[in-house]
Amino acid sequence: MSQSNTTEGGDDVLSIRELKLKFHTYAGEVSALDGIRLSIRKGELFGLVGESGCGKSVTALAIAGLLPPNAEITGGDVILDGKNVLALKPEEMRLARLKDIAMIFQDPMTYLNPVLTIGSQMAEITRAEPKLFISILITHRLRQIDKQVDSAKPDRGLLAERESLTAALDSQNLGRKELDQLTRSYAISLLKSVRLPEPEKVYKMYPFELSGGMRQRVMIAMAMMRRPKLLLADEITTALDVTVQAQILRLLKDLRSEINTSVLLITHDLAIVAEVCDRVAVMYAGNIVEVAEVDELFRNPLHPYTKGLLASVPRADLARTPDSIEGSVPDLLSPPSGCRFHPRCPKAFETCPSKKPSMIAVAPNHYVSCFLYGG
Amino acid sequence: MGQTEKNSVKSRRQHSELRFALHLLRQNPIVMAGLVISVATVVLAILSNLLVNGAYWHQQELTLRLCWNNPAFSWPVTNLFNCAGQVYPLGTDAYGRSLLQMIILAIPIDLQIALEVVASAVVIGVIFGSLAAYMGGLIDEIILRITDIFLAVPWILLAIVLIVVLGRSLTTLTLAVIITWWPWYVRLMRSQVIGEKEKLYVERLRMMGAGWPRILFRHVIPNSIYPILVQSTLDIGSVILTVSALTFIGLTPNPLLPELGNLSNQGIQYFFTAPWLIVFPGLTILIISLGFNLLGDGIRDIFDPRLRR
Amino acid sequence: MVFVLLALSILIFYLTRGLLPPTTALAPYINPRLTDAGKLSIARAVGVATSTCPSFSDFASLQTGCVTPLWTQYFFWLKNVLVGNWGYTLLPGISGTESTWSVFFGRFPYTAELDIVAAVLTFLIGVPLGIVSATHNNKLPDHLSRIVSLGGYSIPQFWFGAMLLIVFVLYLRIGGLGLLPASGALGTTCALCFSNPGSITTYSGVPLFDSLLSLNLPYFWDSVVAIILPALTLAITSLGLLTRIVRSNMMEVLRQDYITMARSKGLKERSIIYSHALRNAILPAITVAGLLVTYLIGGSVIVEIVFSWPGVGSAALVAADVLDINFLELFVLVAGVIIVVTNLVVDILYAVLDPRIRY
Repeated sequence: MSQSNTTEGGDDVLSIRELKLKFHTYAGEVSALDGIRLSIRKGELFGLVGESGCGKSVTALAIAGLLPPNAEITGGDVILDGKNVLALKPEEMRLARLKDIAMIFQDPMTYLNPVLTIGSQMAEITRAEPKLFISILITHRLRQIDKQVDSAKPDRGLLAERESLTAALDSQNLGRKELDQLTRSYAISLLKSVRLPEPEKVYKMYPFELSGGMRQRVMIAMAMMRRPKLLLADEITTALDVTVQAQILRLLKDLRSEINTSVLLITHDLAIVAEVCDRVAVMYAGNIVEVAEVDELFRNPLHPYTKGLLASVPRADLARTPDSIEGSVPDLLSPPSGCRFHPRCPKAFETCPSKKPSMIAVAPNHYVSCFLYGG
Repeated sequence: MGQTEKNSVKSRRQHSELRFALHLLRQNPIVMAGLVISVATVVLAILSNLLVNGAYWHQQELTLRLCWNNPAFSWPVTNLFNCAGQVYPLGTDAYGRSLLQMIILAIPIDLQIALEVVASAVVIGVIFGSLAAYMGGLIDEIILRITDIFLAVPWILLAIVLIVVLGRSLTTLTLAVIITWWPWYVRLMRSQVIGEKEKLYVERLRMMGAGWPRILFRHVIPNSIYPILVQSTLDIGSVILTVSALTFIGLTPNPLLPELGNLSNQGIQYFFTAPWLIVFPGLTILIISLGFNLLGDGIRDIFDPRLRR
Repeated sequence: MVFVLLALSILIFYLTRGLLPPTTALAPYINPRLTDAGKLSIARAVGVATSTCPSFSDFASLQTGCVTPLWTQYFFWLKNVLVGNWGYTLLPGISGTESTWSVFFGRFPYTAELDIVAAVLTFLIGVPLGIVSATHNNKLPDHLSRIVSLGGYSIPQFWFGAMLLIVFVLYLRIGGLGLLPASGALGTTCALCFSNPGSITTYSGVPLFDSLLSLNLPYFWDSVVAIILPALTLAITSLGLLTRIVRSNMMEVLRQDYITMARSKGLKERSIIYSHALRNAILPAITVAGLLVTYLIGGSVIVEIVFSWPGVGSAALVAADVLDINFLELFVLVAGVIIVVTNLVVDILYAVLDPRIRY
């Protein structure tokens, strides 16, 4: 199972409070998020788990400001590193997406532009706001030069380059040509760090020339390029087969510790959560029903839905066939009243349809939203 | 979820589909306008003989030619000839006939030619397109190459050559326009049938021993013909454009014929003395073709699954 | 490709020679002042009359054994045509004295000028309009551009041209002259024209070009002023079509996942539209270039008549009247070559721009 939390217990990178969201469709209004609460600490790998349609991707889109035009946020805050993301102007939001938040999606084939090379799709990131990347690019190159210079014969050209780069770092000024060169070398080293073979070649290739796993690594490299505070990973392993899945997850963990990024890992697969996450939140029909550290959740699931989820996972060590949760996911056009899970809950009683349970702490770091435990 | 709940969800979804379609229609006043115009055109065509004497266009009143006496507005023409007698709302043409009455007479004639063209193009297109698609191989190649040849020429040149060679008559005019349109319909039908013949029921019919004519004519064609019919109805406006372009350049069977392009031909000859002769017939063509095109756009938008939310 | 052109020539040939008397086929090659014997010998040389035909009158009255079969005629014709012998034009005023080839290519540069300017206008107006329409979907710019595009291909070109003439020549007048010229490739009688632009040396036959090369700016200006209205009229149909296609392609592309990805990378909206969306949207729009060329060439016939433009389009109509079949055939084949070449260029361009096709 996963390692324990690596943070020093610092501030929350992300804090979502009572976020409510609905979609205006021609069939009516879909209540997609019903007041969710979430917080992710610095450097934490946080899992968000739930069935399809429960609102996990929508949450990520809301954080990144990428909601479609027919979405309306009807309440709540999304605080990223102290700033309320929902109150940002579009241009500020764009810069936040460039520097603070990075998002990786499920199917890298459709999320990469088929007619542009990998390299150009990476280079355009620094070209968008060169000023923001000058330090990163120059520092990276300086480090490269230092490594080479330490060897026996210091090259005159390298020393000269180091001088001019240091000067550029001080003045925060970089020419277009130097920017492109530095971007290229930085991007290639990132491609190497995501364990892509022959990164220089990959840089010049088109997306359709790569396999699914390779494309996903490219997406991760593109995200890492910005050194974001928060990485949103939306079902990134769903389209990959199991062996590649494991590699990508391992990569994610390593990168997280290298750059100390927080990761919100969205998935419907509990096994993934078990493998890499520090904490996990369980989501159902637009609500967060339980939040706990991963070990705690698997050892001691509280919410009936969580219990149902865990029971439905096939296990090789038990002889019985997995149970399934009765019923099906509710239609969010007219969701069930009160606790949205009550129609399928084996433990439902009179209070459940009448009002929504609030989230309470049953143990330190273990929250649940169910009338069975108060709330 | 109980059965009744499931049913109510299902009926709510169907209800919402219809509501969605109506919503789009209501949201789009332009499409509604298209519908109104198209219907109005057809109605006007049917009623035209009630409004104007059908033999009106044979007469000529040369003392009244090219005159204008509608007080509502005037034309910046140096010697505007004023008509004697009754008010001609749209002036008179080069033969002294009321332009308004000529236009009313012209609409059914143009519409009729357009219908003939469209019907013939559909028949040709359906036959050759479905044969090409269903038979495949050499037949497909040949038919495709032939459409290529026809599409490699600007249509108007082909039409000119044809009318020159065959003489000027309503039949050759219709034929010339059919020659222009049939390649599109062959291709359209062909792509429809290519998709249709891959479907499971065709395989099943073949296994049951049905011969290809039966499969083709009884099943495949009726199932794939719907888009062609929609397209053809909406092409009526564009066909009128084509026909009037040909008569405009002078390839008309009879210079007296009440036909919108024909009237415009007079208009360009007498442009500096009677500009109304080209303005109003052309405007009529514009409105008719706009009506059908708007309608077509709207229907396509509503039924295009990709554009739905 | 060559096959298409060959087949086209056969089609036109059989249509014309097959359905018209052989004297028509002969007409371009004989000088009317020749004697009957002279005419007969040319008829034999051109392959329409057999060597056994006794006299010209026999040939003209279609006596059996006098007229060669059509396919023989075709081969003779093809042989002549491939060396550039298209006979003498029958166009009034110069019939029998000027070769079809020289008359055609004397007028062709004017049509080419008109078509090229119209093509440029189509592109310059159509693409931005389509982009704006897609990015401001369902707002005012979208509605306006949809009106333009729908109007564009619903409008009868002759009517549009006439309306432009009414506005800019009849209504807008300065000092008794219309704002723009009413006809011709060189405007000398209009409010904005130079009435005496001087002369130029003919390099290509295209006035815009030649006047620039001859450094005669008033002439250039007059040519520009004269071409505005006709080019706009010619462009309106293909403009409507192109706007529509660009709009729907852009809307489709903007819905794609990689656009969401580009936004999530924090790129500026402008660079997303131009570097990502446009590249993918333009690609399918290119394939329609061949069609647009067809519309442009065909439309020039109408536009040249409305504006009395001295190109091959207006001449084609006169040729039709006097049954100058060779002229029409030359026109059809030249048009065919242009369209086929355009399609070829489009195919190549598509392969260059879409890396998926190259591999």
